[in-house]
Amino acid sequence: MPAGFNSLLPALVLIVLFFVVPVLALLLRSVTEPEPGLQNYATLLGDGTYARVFFNTFLVAAVVTAVTVVVAFPVAWMLAIMPSALASIIFGVIILSMWTNLLTRTYAWMVLLQRTGVINRALLAIGIIDQPLPLINNLTGVTIGMVYIMLPFMILPLVGTLRAIDPMTLRAAALCGASPIQAFRRILLPLSLPGLAAGGLMVFVMSLGYFVTPALLGGTSNMMLAEMIAQMIQSLLNWGLGSAAAFILLVVIMALYALQLRLVGARRMTGGI
Amino acid sequence: MIQPFLSIRKLHKAFGAFTAVHDVTLEIPRGEFLTFLGPSGSGKSTTLYAIAGFQDPSSGDVQLEGKSLLAIPSHKRSIGMVFQRYTLFPHLTVAENIAFPLRVRRRPDAEVKKKVADMLTLVRLESFAARLPGALSGGQQQRVALARALAYDPPILLMDEPLSALDKKLREEIQAEIRRIHRETGVTILYVTHDQEEALHLSDRIALFRDGRIEQTGTGEDLYLRPATDFVAGFIGNSNFLTAEHLETANGAATIRLADGSVVSGVSVNRTFDKGQKTRLMIRPEAFGMERKPASAELAVEIVDVAFYGERRRIVARTATGQEIDIRPTSAAMRSQDLTPCSRQVFFDPAAAFLFSA
Repeated sequence: MPAGFNSLLPALVLIVLFFVVPVLALLLRSVTEPEPGLQNYATLLGDGTYARVFFNTFLVAAVVTAVTVVVAFPVAWMLAIMPSALASIIFGVIILSMWTNLLTRTYAWMVLLQRTGVINRALLAIGIIDQPLPLINNLTGVTIGMVYIMLPFMILPLVGTLRAIDPMTLRAAALCGASPIQAFRRILLPLSLPGLAAGGLMVFVMSLGYFVTPALLGGTSNMMLAEMIAQMIQSLLNWGLGSAAAFILLVVIMALYALQLRLVGARRMTGGI
Repeated sequence: MIQPFLSIRKLHKAFGAFTAVHDVTLEIPRGEFLTFLGPSGSGKSTTLYAIAGFQDPSSGDVQLEGKSLLAIPSHKRSIGMVFQRYTLFPHLTVAENIAFPLRVRRRPDAEVKKKVADMLTLVRLESFAARLPGALSGGQQQRVALARALAYDPPILLMDEPLSALDKKLREEIQAEIRRIHRETGVTILYVTHDQEEALHLSDRIALFRDGRIEQTGTGEDLYLRPATDFVAGFIGNSNFLTAEHLETANGAATIRLADGSVVSGVSVNRTFDKGQKTRLMIRPEAFGMERKPASAELAVEIVDVAFYGERRRIVARTATGQEIDIRPTSAAMRSQDLTPCSRQVFFDPAAAFLFSA
């Protein structure tokens, strides 16, 4: 037994009691309710309606992650190279948005995005469009709302990785004859991979289980898994099916995490944050 | 007139109210090893960066074989560069780093392989091809950087204090390496350093910078033996400055009166002085001797301390007016009675001393 193990025991008890036991209880429910067996899993994986919800969940998470990367990268690079006094002010603004209530921010997007919302009215007024754009109750609305919420989770690990890159390396690449695009693709992008992987996994996993934003900004045709689980448990009181859906999500997330550890390497990933 | 290879014309760079480079003009023939020497903030790096394309000059021009480089972005200038800090790409192996400039130019695979092998041989790192930069010492990293900069045969190689992060022994080793590579490749090198020994050791010519201007351009010998200004004399080598009054100049040789009242004639001058003008006489520490020679001038001093430095001795002496001077005769020229603190005469050749205005 390693030295100091005994003093860590309370922490271990806490983890087992509040994390391991509930997950096991979840698993147990999924194979015992309404009656013992794997029929809950069979229903979820066999039925086209549920399959569509799973597919939609992954689609939304993937689109949100991709858009977040594209928006976060330039912001993170700017933060990494700008004078640190200015950067910390911008960091403050980003953190402040994280501290603002999630529901408030999502409702704010509803006000902005709806048919008669600020954005549509402004675009109509300038004459860029003559019909309101469908910005809400669809994939567009979910993506906009979720990217907004996920940005800090991508920017923060990415800035850490980008700060460790010496800007002189890029000058060296330029003098080697690399165009800005080549320097980005061959030097900056590979070097920022640990941060991108850490942020990307975080955003993807958080998006998979997101509830509030998809429920408010999404449409009925693209329901996500968290919404479906809520419905199963709250409206249908089918704890077994809900537990099975939650457990499938958990297994998928664990598998993704394991895959990433293999690809990027655990040391580089934690070192990148 | 023959077209110079690289020419810097009236290059001017201002950052707000601060002028970093002030009308610098230089012509560099093909194959030359030219060093920009000067204290930090003297404009030497800014000039180099203007050639590299990292900084746009406020005015003036940089021309390669008669064509202006200024409108060309860095990545199209075909200039190799080795930086002060290690700037190897950390995720690429040594071989991939050296291949990088060839890969971005989409050269055929076989050519890239051959060139990388040649470059590894040139910098003597054949067995390190598959290592990542992080697994190399600082000196090895700079050698890889040198190989990377030379891989696509650029006509010009810029080096921005490439050895300043290395310890003395490694520095000397890589200096020898750089000299050899310059000899073998014939590449034109512009080298920036604040280390005068490095500049003297490496360069064909030195441009000495001070406050954004070039104080003097010439071979190391020119700068050492025929300094144009007291700044050059003070920056290159060691020097003693004695205050003196100019009496008269005839046939390029001046007669002066030192602070202790002694009169010295036959002093080298490269400008005119007024009668009675306050001046400073520069004498190199090794120009002093302990014995009188036919043309020598003499100086009464009190020997304060004598230390043994191998091939030379280093003597701290004090003049009659209390100024400390540094004397470094060869050890062989010293007799044992010279070594004890005493008052005596020391001698110097006035033609090897220089007169500057105070």
